[in-house]
Amino acid sequence: MSKVLMTGSEAAALGAKLSKIEVLSYYPITPAFPAMERLSKYIEDGELNCKFIRAESDHSALAAVLGASLAGARSYTVTNSQGLLYMTEVAYHVAGLRQSVVMGVANRALSAPHSRFPEHGDAVSQGANGWIQIFSENNQDILDNTIQAFRIAEELRTPVMVNYEGYIQSHTQEEVEAPSAEKVAAFLPLKRMPVMDINNPQGVNTVTSPDFYMDYKFRQNEALEKALTVIPQVSEDYKKEFGRDSRGLLEAYRMEDVEHAIVAMGSIVSTARLLVDNLRSQGKKIGLVKLRVWRPFPGKELYENLKNVKYVTVLDKNIVFGVGGALATDIKAAFYGRTEMVINSCIIGLGGAKSGVAEIKQAVDSTEDCSESKNSSVWIGL
Amino acid sequence: MIDKINLEQLPQEDLFGPGNVGCKGCAAAIAGRQAMKVLRERTMITIPASCMATLGGNNRRTTWKIPFYHTLFECAPAVSSGIRAALEVQGIKNVNVVSWGGDAGSADIGFQALSGAAERNEDIFHVCYDNEMYMNTGGQTGSQTPKTALTSNAFLGKPTNKKNMLAIMEVHGIGYVASASIAFPADLMAKLKKAASRKGFSYIHILAPCFRGWGIPSDQTVEFARRAVYCGLWELYEVEDGIRKRTVEPQLIPVKDYIFPQKRFSKISAEEINRLQQQVDDYYGKVGK
Repeated sequence: MSKVLMTGSEAAALGAKLSKIEVLSYYPITPAFPAMERLSKYIEDGELNCKFIRAESDHSALAAVLGASLAGARSYTVTNSQGLLYMTEVAYHVAGLRQSVVMGVANRALSAPHSRFPEHGDAVSQGANGWIQIFSENNQDILDNTIQAFRIAEELRTPVMVNYEGYIQSHTQEEVEAPSAEKVAAFLPLKRMPVMDINNPQGVNTVTSPDFYMDYKFRQNEALEKALTVIPQVSEDYKKEFGRDSRGLLEAYRMEDVEHAIVAMGSIVSTARLLVDNLRSQGKKIGLVKLRVWRPFPGKELYENLKNVKYVTVLDKNIVFGVGGALATDIKAAFYGRTEMVINSCIIGLGGAKSGVAEIKQAVDSTEDCSESKNSSVWIGL
Repeated sequence: MIDKINLEQLPQEDLFGPGNVGCKGCAAAIAGRQAMKVLRERTMITIPASCMATLGGNNRRTTWKIPFYHTLFECAPAVSSGIRAALEVQGIKNVNVVSWGGDAGSADIGFQALSGAAERNEDIFHVCYDNEMYMNTGGQTGSQTPKTALTSNAFLGKPTNKKNMLAIMEVHGIGYVASASIAFPADLMAKLKKAASRKGFSYIHILAPCFRGWGIPSDQTVEFARRAVYCGLWELYEVEDGIRKRTVEPQLIPVKDYIFPQKRFSKISAEEINRLQQQVDDYYGKVGK
């Protein structure tokens, strides 16, 4: 495999192309649009045999992709921020109907006030919608996660969102190793599961009484729980096939013998690695956990990795108003009653606000300063 | 030209109808049954939130003998666009892909997706069954409610005109637009057959009275659908590749014979009746046969 310079948008588009998507629909939005344009070019150049539906809105784009999936086609869309919010209603339908749709999300802050800069608020707004959510640290992750997403989605009949950050990833080139189309085809055999089938007519989404509804929801949640074992398996298979380790649910970085751990997801993980290396060289016992999968939430696996630390600095590029950072809130809930550690929720980098090594250092320091309260929260860079 | 439909030669078997939980005399169910007589087995249908979406089945039972998907309110034509794309990519041919909305799911909350699919000239067709108010939620006012009609949230009557969906769809530049009525099944079926046989997007708008909303006896839905045509207020026509043709000639009975018996028009003024009558007289006098 050779390395090629490509943007995150190109990595997302290439991942979808290598996965041989059959139906594509999208509605242009910034910063997801370069991935869309790239996919359309693949189709127009004859490099990808895929039907494109030029939807008149984000809502219709996901609806079209849902229709295609129901009729048995491997289907993909990409969007972000307001587009994702507009799709929300359909996103719940896709998950409730157990369709294996994959969606790229070029994470961007939500309006108002208007911002076109990176943040995880859009992804977090979808935290209860039933989709699996994978976060990408770099452009290589975007490609690998997109391919794996189809395998996960089709095995669990559950849709998957592949998150990557606007601009920081969507518009920035990095070296990416692209696997061959043949190998990806072998990794992703097409198994059709049409629900709308002319030879087997069924009524889809009929009126459902409370006992049935509850049962459907139980099974839907069961699939999400099963994802906690399927995702690491797929990651392992991918490693065997392509030689790269996506680390399943999370990656522990320099976590041996640590007192303090940073937990983060998305592009800020790379920045946190720099700080950890830096502080380690000064003798500080600090490590990092990169969360790759946010939905389902791997609380148990996180606890296994963090149970011996004294301080946890959680970097949340999102805010759930009146509650705090979504990731920290989930960690606190998962660790309830099991720990004496300080868990500090650090709201950082909202709407593209600076979130470099210095800001993460500030977050780390604030965690050790606030040992009075084990359940603390700070805003970095106000 | 419209194909002649011989009602006696239609298949006995219904692909929609038996066991549906619509009200007795429900015109939506009548329209669905008539449609399935000609669309037959190789049809996939998407229906957004509406009475029609819910009366075809509960839990694991359904009257639909074709693939049917009860979609979200806004997006049935978009879903159908996706279904058509998936069939094409798999090489599955000779399937009618239909989206079928009420007046809300077509003209109001569903309008954006409908307009988008029409503009893209998707190889699907959309049917609007129009009962002129939001009956699935108890009968509120919508854009298809006629002026002066009383609804559950307009006790003084609707102050504005009914939006002309056929005209709006016609100016999308699509190949086939037609109005229809459940009281003229042969005409309705011929139009559906034509929409199904054509490549590209077609739009059919069926007047389907709701006896509850209109305030008429439940055994009079067909009768009032007929009067709407005969009085000249609901013209049956089609526009095929730009050529407009009236398909049923109205007898032009007095407009008041259609309006007065309906409780929803109980507050209509003499002026408004006169205006409607004048409108019909002018229209048919001007357009002719």
